[in-house]
Amino acid sequence: MYRRLLININQVRNRLIHTHNTRLTLPSTKCKERESFAPVASTSLSEDKGKTPEETEVNAEVNTDGQRNTEMNEGTEISNATLTSQLETEPVVKPEDRKQVEKTKSGKESLLELLGAMKVEVTTVRKIRPSKTPRMSERPDQEPMESTHSMFQRATAEGSQQHGTLNPELVAAVSAAASTLPNRHQAESELLKQLRKHEAIPDTQRRADIGHIISDMKVGKRPNGRSNVRPTSQIRFDDDGKGYTQDRGITSELDGVRRRKSPFTSKRLNLFAAAAEQDALSDLGPTLWDIDLANQIVQATNQMPRNGFEEMIQWTKEGRLWQYPINNEAGLEEEASVPFHEHVFLEKHLDESFPQQGPVRHFMELVITGLAKNHHLTVQQKKEHIDWFRDYFRQKEDVLKEAEAYLN
Amino acid sequence: MASSCSQALRHHVCKSSRILRVHLQKAWPNRSFVLNPAADQQPAVSSPEEIVIPKKKTWSKEAVLQALASTVNRDPTASDYRFQDDPYLTPKTSSEFKLFSLSQESGRNAAKYFISTYPKYFQKDYAQPHIPCLMPETLEAQLEEVSEAALIERIQMRKVKAAVDLYDQLQQAGTPVSLDVTNQLLDLICFYGDCDPAQENVPEQRNEETVGQENKLSHNKRSPCLVFSFRENNNAERVFALLSEPNTHSYSALIRGMVKYGAYSKAFSTYTDLLNNQLKADVSTFNALITAAPEVKEKYNEKWELIVDLLKQMAEQKVKPNLLTLNAVLKALRRCGTVGKSQAFPVISEMRALSIDPSLASYNHLLSIFYKPGHKGQTDILQEVMNEVSGKSFTPQDPDDAQFFITAVRICLDTKDIEQAYRVHELLGVGENWRLLGNDFQQNIYHARFFSLLCMMENIDVVLKWYRDLVPSVYYPSSNVMRDLLQALDTDNRLDLIPQIWKDLKQLGHGNRQTLVEELLTLMAREKQNQEVQETFAECALDIKKMYDTGDRGKVMMSWTAGSLSDLVSVLLAAQRRQDAWEILKLFKTHNRVPSEELLDKFLTCIKESGDVNQALELVQISAGFCLPGTPKLIQRVQQEFLLSEQQK
Repeated sequence: MYRRLLININQVRNRLIHTHNTRLTLPSTKCKERESFAPVASTSLSEDKGKTPEETEVNAEVNTDGQRNTEMNEGTEISNATLTSQLETEPVVKPEDRKQVEKTKSGKESLLELLGAMKVEVTTVRKIRPSKTPRMSERPDQEPMESTHSMFQRATAEGSQQHGTLNPELVAAVSAAASTLPNRHQAESELLKQLRKHEAIPDTQRRADIGHIISDMKVGKRPNGRSNVRPTSQIRFDDDGKGYTQDRGITSELDGVRRRKSPFTSKRLNLFAAAAEQDALSDLGPTLWDIDLANQIVQATNQMPRNGFEEMIQWTKEGRLWQYPINNEAGLEEEASVPFHEHVFLEKHLDESFPQQGPVRHFMELVITGLAKNHHLTVQQKKEHIDWFRDYFRQKEDVLKEAEAYLN
Repeated sequence: MASSCSQALRHHVCKSSRILRVHLQKAWPNRSFVLNPAADQQPAVSSPEEIVIPKKKTWSKEAVLQALASTVNRDPTASDYRFQDDPYLTPKTSSEFKLFSLSQESGRNAAKYFISTYPKYFQKDYAQPHIPCLMPETLEAQLEEVSEAALIERIQMRKVKAAVDLYDQLQQAGTPVSLDVTNQLLDLICFYGDCDPAQENVPEQRNEETVGQENKLSHNKRSPCLVFSFRENNNAERVFALLSEPNTHSYSALIRGMVKYGAYSKAFSTYTDLLNNQLKADVSTFNALITAAPEVKEKYNEKWELIVDLLKQMAEQKVKPNLLTLNAVLKALRRCGTVGKSQAFPVISEMRALSIDPSLASYNHLLSIFYKPGHKGQTDILQEVMNEVSGKSFTPQDPDDAQFFITAVRICLDTKDIEQAYRVHELLGVGENWRLLGNDFQQNIYHARFFSLLCMMENIDVVLKWYRDLVPSVYYPSSNVMRDLLQALDTDNRLDLIPQIWKDLKQLGHGNRQTLVEELLTLMAREKQNQEVQETFAECALDIKKMYDTGDRGKVMMSWTAGSLSDLVSVLLAAQRRQDAWEILKLFKTHNRVPSEELLDKFLTCIKESGDVNQALELVQISAGFCLPGTPKLIQRVQQEFLLSEQQK
């Protein structure tokens, strides 16, 4: 287990180094914790996601710490805090006595304690932990690490089970858990009772509970994050040889915490009114100075193309290259302002200069139908085409009249 | 069967669509998405009839090409794109890189020069449609008469002297020149400091400038006017004095010219003049004055007070500051010592409040304020800055933008902060940020710093990964950086890679750097490796010897030292190449170097293994020839360990 944890830490550190996505990475051991709780959380998500939309919103709103807390809460809530909190070898918790919120809080605290205990175990050198750590003094009794650890394992194993029905495995697990307690029969029966009660809670109520918890969490969010909960800091003082590398990983992990005090959010000088008017002076186009500034920027930056496409972009900008079509109106410079009906409805050009009926009229109607469908010609060319026929028929008017084809 | 099948299919589709929806919600939680079926219990914000029609998207004409270009990744095995036309011209060393890129540019410049000088030979227009940028530029003024139009033409051609002359002629003829044109003329005069600009082919000359590594020198070369200061009673002031009613633009041009050419106190008195004339200054005037502020005051406090005063006046005159104002203030704060450290962040917050987002130049100034070279920076400002900029894509907005990456990686190197260096390098890969790395020279500095840091901080596998990635496609390491690499190899005990590195060294043109080669030999000779490695070492050593022998034409030949020779002998001996080693041993004499006793001792041991008595005797003779004090000891050993004939004794 320890080895795996260490490996995990290393993996996370490596990932950190390569991705540097400090906001997404969590402290290494927390990843572990997340992994182990993943089954619990995922079942809860798949069940409740569709039903409680506000939950998703909350998830999105709270930052990474908050999100982790919600997950923890979900984890504890869904297993109804039974398996995790009761396995704490404390006397059996009676959730009906307490309010739901308090329960989750206790669940959260116990989880954090668990985490803290695990962290201490990772440091192989320092066996004795300073008793003045406030979190440790909160604990009611200092149980041996060994049990905490095994409990954690079991909690993960059992938490991953489906809790839809009280299946035999669950019962067996409960009895196993109860066997660690002094009066095992009583504990077992109480545990099972608790589980059944949990089953009896209608879905709607549970959903409401979740909403309630989450809204409560939002209110209870401390302004300065986890000032009293910093389990990772324990590794920082670890001196078992790995301390250096771990320390490096963690400094970046704590970025999120430091971010809140970023100097970029310091107070302003308050010289300018926020909505200062922009004076409309620069209406003369770019001055020599503006051109020079642009020139300087171009010279300072790297404008060399990195591949053929970028070179083509450069050529396009310079106007050397025919531009790639970005819509089906490419190359439509001269016709861009001509509406399409000018192209299609050409009857208006067949005015009185053509006969109103007869073969010539018929012929011309065919001509404009053809022209209307021709996309190679501009409107001007189409007009010229019609004009050519007008002239032609005027010249041949005599012949046509003789043949009685020119009726007017 | 079929119905059940379709049932199952529908079920499946339903399920997958639900999953999809869940994913969508996860991905875009705060987007009120159109896809909002009734099954979703999201509060119905909008009635179902309301359909939002998306706005028409206008694509730029390079959109297709940009999309295509984004699919191309850098090939770490290929050279820079500009060298890919001709494989013969693929640069292998940094000097070749410089030479080839410069010749390319100068070829272009020469062509342009000829086209512009002899436009009459280049009038044939092949292109259909017409391509203006391929046609020769007109460099001679077309309008000969004395008129305002001719003046405008000369201003557009940036002929300072001709424009001023024409202006004088117009004045003498009594022709009025409009205020706008006069202002343009003032701009021109002030910009070029009242002398004609040098013949410039602006963007193409870039590389030539960078070659002259002293930036200042090349700067002067480009516009010789910079060495002159803003002279008394020059044309700018004369033209300005002729104006009956100078407006803001006129003052702006004059003040900017004064600041550009170092007449700082004059600029401030001109500004007072402007205020006396009941005019308002514009934002560029203020920017220029802020730039000049640190020059006119001595103490840090006074400088800062002057800047604040200027900013207050901006606010009074309702002039909206811009990004350049921010950068000018920050740049001025670089020269304000401790005041700068305390005021830099409030300034940025102030500008943020005015919705001016800092550019990389602002961050560069910020870093320079907090990390003075020489001082060991203890602050984590770099980390804060990286938190701000990570993942953002920047567009160049300020000439100083290109300094950011160099500064950031310098700080990483100073503070040995590999983590931030990785973040800086990652930022470089975002969007168009690579353009902001600057020209070839700056790229070289950046990569040298980044790579030295890697050699210092990372284990050798990671270093080599980067090495393969960067060298030689984007970076040609200098011999110093290669020495760092050798040291990294040494610390991680991967000396077996030395022969490979030697090959690269040779290709990079560092094969004749004596110190580097000697270090290489020392590293190879120092410890005994396994047999295979020793073989490759021996090959490599002989290769190095060849390097010594040939010596490139004209270049300084490396000379053998006693150390390098004995290292070479030990390497060969360790690989059981006695004959080769014997040859080298003879070189001691020809180059007048003296071998050490240990080396001869080692050699003797090696000879003993083969039992070559004659060679042993020769060795003793060589030793005696150098008059080494250890000769008697050597003789003794030979007598003890070899079966010598009487004569040999």
